[in-house]
Amino acid sequence: MINYIIRRLLLMLPTLAGITVLVFSVMALAPGGIGANLMTSGGDMRPEERKAMVEYLNRRYGLDQPMTTQYLRWLNNIMPIGFATGPDGARGEFGFKTPDLGSSFVKNRPVLDLVAEALPITLLLNALTVPLVFVGSILMGVYTARFRGGALDVSIGTVNLALWSVPTIWMGVVLIGFLASEEYLKWFPTSGLSSLRSDSWNFLPTFGTPSEPGYQRGYLLDMLWHLVLPVICLTYSGFAFLTKLTRAAVLENLLSDYARTARAKGASERAVLWRHVFRNSLLPLITVTASILPGLLVGSVIVESIFSIDGMGRLAVEAVQMRDREVVLSITLITGMLTLFSYLLVDICYALADPRVSYE
Amino acid sequence: MGSRFGVKDLLLYLFLLIILVSIWLTMVQIDRQWSFIRLTQEKLDEQTRDIADLRRQLQRGVLVADSDRPAETTGGLPPTWEGFRRAHQASLAPDYAEGDWLINYFGSNLQRLTPMLSADAYASWVQEQVLDTLITRDPETLDWLPLLAESWAISEDGLTVRFTVRQGVTFSDGEPLTAADIAFTYRFIMDERIASPRARAYYSRIKSVTVEGNDVVFRYEEPYFGSFELAGTMQVLAEHFYGPYLESVERAEQFNSATGLLLGSGPYKLQDPVGWTPDQPVELVRNDRYWGWVQPPFDRMVWKVIQNDAATLTEFKNGDVDVYSARPLDYRELLKDEALLARTNHFEYYNARGGYSYIGWNQQRDGEPTRFADPRVRQALTYLTDRQRLVEEVFLGYAKPANGPFNPLGKQINPDIETRTFNLARAQSLLAEAGYEDRDGDGIIESADGEPFRFKLLYPAGSDDYKRVVLLIKDFYVKAGIIMEPEPTDWPLVLKALDEKAFDAISLGWTSGFEIDLYQFFHSSQMQPGGDNFLSYGNPELDSLIETARAEMDEAKRMEIWRRCHEILWADQPYTFLIWRASLNFIDERIQNVQRTRSGVNRPGLWQAPGEWYVPAARQKYDG
Repeated sequence: MINYIIRRLLLMLPTLAGITVLVFSVMALAPGGIGANLMTSGGDMRPEERKAMVEYLNRRYGLDQPMTTQYLRWLNNIMPIGFATGPDGARGEFGFKTPDLGSSFVKNRPVLDLVAEALPITLLLNALTVPLVFVGSILMGVYTARFRGGALDVSIGTVNLALWSVPTIWMGVVLIGFLASEEYLKWFPTSGLSSLRSDSWNFLPTFGTPSEPGYQRGYLLDMLWHLVLPVICLTYSGFAFLTKLTRAAVLENLLSDYARTARAKGASERAVLWRHVFRNSLLPLITVTASILPGLLVGSVIVESIFSIDGMGRLAVEAVQMRDREVVLSITLITGMLTLFSYLLVDICYALADPRVSYE
Repeated sequence: MGSRFGVKDLLLYLFLLIILVSIWLTMVQIDRQWSFIRLTQEKLDEQTRDIADLRRQLQRGVLVADSDRPAETTGGLPPTWEGFRRAHQASLAPDYAEGDWLINYFGSNLQRLTPMLSADAYASWVQEQVLDTLITRDPETLDWLPLLAESWAISEDGLTVRFTVRQGVTFSDGEPLTAADIAFTYRFIMDERIASPRARAYYSRIKSVTVEGNDVVFRYEEPYFGSFELAGTMQVLAEHFYGPYLESVERAEQFNSATGLLLGSGPYKLQDPVGWTPDQPVELVRNDRYWGWVQPPFDRMVWKVIQNDAATLTEFKNGDVDVYSARPLDYRELLKDEALLARTNHFEYYNARGGYSYIGWNQQRDGEPTRFADPRVRQALTYLTDRQRLVEEVFLGYAKPANGPFNPLGKQINPDIETRTFNLARAQSLLAEAGYEDRDGDGIIESADGEPFRFKLLYPAGSDDYKRVVLLIKDFYVKAGIIMEPEPTDWPLVLKALDEKAFDAISLGWTSGFEIDLYQFFHSSQMQPGGDNFLSYGNPELDSLIETARAEMDEAKRMEIWRRCHEILWADQPYTFLIWRASLNFIDERIQNVQRTRSGVNRPGLWQAPGEWYVPAARQKYDG
């Protein structure tokens, strides 16, 4: 097993290099060139300012050098071993150094800082969404399979299909319009992650202090309150796919020989379903999880923009629109790494869930 | 079976997870407390310093009432405080009160507040509240008024501008503002290590800035009509605060990547002048040390970030945002909403800095003159462009047709010039004169050598309004047998086309001002790559007029020349000028003294001065 993992980890390196070469060339070949959007915002830049800006960017990021040089330079920067680079861009000695993801052309800030700001928000959203989607769809999938063809099966199937067909962008606007508007129901806030004054609040809810009588939500509940609508938007469409998948897997296993054997030896239907069938039905779910996880990182861009939450999705999309090369490359690198890691994780999970699978 | 993962294990793991989460939450909470304590500590330090200062002054027996500043009861405003006249008058209203918050919104996330680094319109909106300038403008008469400067003098040849800096002005941290800070600001911008190439290019016209006693003197290489404005509207940075960043390359880099280094002498300030990051709310608090005649009216200025249009409207309807700027269609719909009208005021006005849109006709492509090089063709196309219909159908009447590059609100515009209206017959006869008529009877006009009149119109993709304008124009041109093919293009590609001059015609917009310089757009020297005369338009008479106007320091004479330029542009039609768009605003009704002025609604930051809006004590919504 350890051998296998090490082998897989080493194989990741060329794959990642391939991904970055691809992204780098696409960025370089994009019409208009890298950082083109920087030159002006809305056409109001004076020509001499534009010229100054082009020269400045070329000097600072070496954008006027050949593509291969630029790529190797970037590769060198992100490696823990390589040539050190001075503040003026001169090449230093070969050896260990701190990997440097570079800084954004547009925002002129280290990419690491940008990711550090956006990542926790995305992780928070996913930490709430993923368990909800999985628990919900597994339960629905198992029960629809158990009562196949019944009213429950049909209604859950229909509702899920209907939800799946609703575009998120529409759902978000409808939710805001009806659940966050004083004209209808003002239950939830419209945007952001916390209220204007929540900075000065207590962390946990309070039920009246001597200085401020009355109930106060507190910072934590306030944030959860702001998260309700975004999380609804992120989850509702996810049920259909996973439910159908679970249902198919459970159905197949319910009709299998070993399920019949278990029933014949007198195991209760409950035990058959949960102990035998369910465990065996997990394999396809694990496979799918591998492809879902990396997508989650930047896939919530629509929800992020509806609710004005600045997560990884917005960071990535804005960077692509603005041709902000270092940010695009870094996010690709991070997602690429995560994808490869989750594939590895899934392969390990196979071995755990199914004793027949072994990598020796 | 016994080694299976059971309910007990699940509970155990859950328990562990809960403990981990609580530890993390506690850490977050301690972090919040920590930053709160730091802020309190800083405030305390400042107050201690203030008290010490006061005590020292008292011991020395300093005159407490400033002789220059008579007590408010007398009501008079010395001429050096003219910049505060309007705010002063507002403060005399019987229900005037300080307090409450003003809540605006941004349509996209703000990246940095550090001055000089960004060209972002949102950031400058915030910076205007924090940084002061030497002079300001009267929104009605457009005259320059003193702000940080008490008075000024411009030399005969227009090469030197001397400002006398007001005494007793302090930055929001209590340090005095002197002429040295202004000289420092120029030095700071011009330092190559600071990442402000745009600002550097903008201020490069200034040759030197020197301090002479209380005066600061700006010198220029050549006379230029905008010299005074250039110097007077430079936002003043504090030397004691920004100075250390010039010490070394590393320090300069620190400045270049800083997101929230903002400290000034303006009416509002950042709670923490060094620590703002884009994930924090954009909030300014009242500058308690504000030096002005009138104290800032609001306790806080808040900008929410709301990226979705529907959410913005909902927030405004909920009363969570105080100012809403609408698009024409929204605006017309909202005017039907009785409940909303009852608690808001609405304004339609033309913005001083709002721009115009146009279609530019490329006169030279690949070294060859195009069909648009003939002024009769350009005039004919303008006759065909029914701008009145554009205004009515796309902008629902909330725009007006443009006939030149000068802002109708300003003094440059020539009022005698009429706007061409739709005239098919006139257009057809002009086209026939230029040699275009339908020779083969297919409905499309051809040139003498049989080439059909067909061209592509490039325009930036992504805007709905733009698309509708272009499609409408296509219909106008078909009437005269001209085929126009709309070509929506991504912005980077638009720029590329401009650089290479590889397009037939292009529709774009320019932002404007009260007095703009035509040099960069229409002077023939700006045809070279990188210049904004990307249409290869040249008229020797216009060239010399522009040159004279730029060096003419007498305003009345200069306006005469600009008006003559306007005539030439009208006759030549290098652009078909399309429209000026109106700003459409709803403003919460609790905010008083909202007025329309010649240069727009008198919002805080319209011109550099403390705001004129306020909320009467009884109607205040937020406190602290």
